Amino acid sequence: MRWNGGEYNGEEEEMTVKIRFFARFRELLGTDIMTDVAAGTMCTSLVATLAKKNPEGYAAIFDENGAFRDFVILMKNGKRIDIADAAKTLVTDGDEIAVFPPVAGG
Amino acid sequence: MFSERECERYKRQILLFGDEGQERLKNAHIFIAGAGGLGSPVSLYLAVAGVGTITIVDMDRVDQTNLNRQILHFDRDIGRKKTASAKEKLQAINPDIMIYAIDVKIDEMNAADLIGEADGIVDAMDNYPARYLLNEVAIAKEIPLFHGGIRGFYGQATTIIPGTTPCLKCIFPKPPPKEVFPVIGVTPGIIGVVQANEVIKFLLGRGELLAGRLLIWDGMQAHAEEICVERNPACDACGGMVENTTARKKK
Repeated sequence: MRWNGGEYNGEEEEMTVKIRFFARFRELLGTDIMTDVAAGTMCTSLVATLAKKNPEGYAAIFDENGAFRDFVILMKNGKRIDIADAAKTLVTDGDEIAVFPPVAGG
Repeated sequence: MFSERECERYKRQILLFGDEGQERLKNAHIFIAGAGGLGSPVSLYLAVAGVGTITIVDMDRVDQTNLNRQILHFDRDIGRKKTASAKEKLQAINPDIMIYAIDVKIDEMNAADLIGEADGIVDAMDNYPARYLLNEVAIAKEIPLFHGGIRGFYGQATTIIPGTTPCLKCIFPKPPPKEVFPVIGVTPGIIGVVQANEVIKFLLGRGELLAGRLLIWDGMQAHAEEICVERNPACDACGGMVENTTARKKK
């Protein structure tokens, strides 16, 4: 196994993960998206790849430096992931990633 | 003790939880922060349930743009203080309870005094800085905070029991950006009623609260789901609190 900048360079091993967007993110990007990812994919790159399908959706979730906006809440299989750790959090086959914004109105 | 009128008024719910449960509601004092989209259904349902003392706080006047969702206020109330409008409606819907309507902006200087000896705080605010303030007071007084938030067809709710569940800052450490949020009245209707239901269960000491669970409502899909939320040991609001081993602070 060889790593290079967080990307896996060995044999391609397809895995399927599910991404769930909530609230405004859902309006912009849809939800319950099943996607195949290569082994070694990190949480941030997975979400970014999907979010890029709609520039407005991407901009809602990521800042100009490609980092998660600070209010974004990320969950992997029902457990909170600190957004600061998302770039080094691996996704594995069968994972469910949830991405949502708190809603503020009252 | 209940008057004959109260016995009749609450007859159908006394079937559910008895005189003892109704007594608990009557002896309770609930603080509702906001008389807007969430505050309207929360206060109306707590009033008709017979929560004995309700304090509701708001600083705004009724605006025409409020009327698609803030069902405490009527067209004829445009320009009136929301507190005056709220007190009139709540007292009219149940004359057997005490309503205190306070026209003030909740800030860090007055929040603890305003909340006083209340048994719980309902978060019916529309911004996170105010919510964080309510969260701090709830932690300091060790009383529950019934959180709700909405946007468009989406809503969220959870019940915060300081020392037991994550606090609002554990769950939402950073606020989303400020905006003029789109909203349809049914969404705060649904979430506000969930909050009122939580208050009633807490006061009765019955059922399972949304404790450690964030309910997420998608009105477009007519789908509710919940996610488990956990305390953040490094939380700057509640991180120092010792775990409260009693499941729920009973009255």
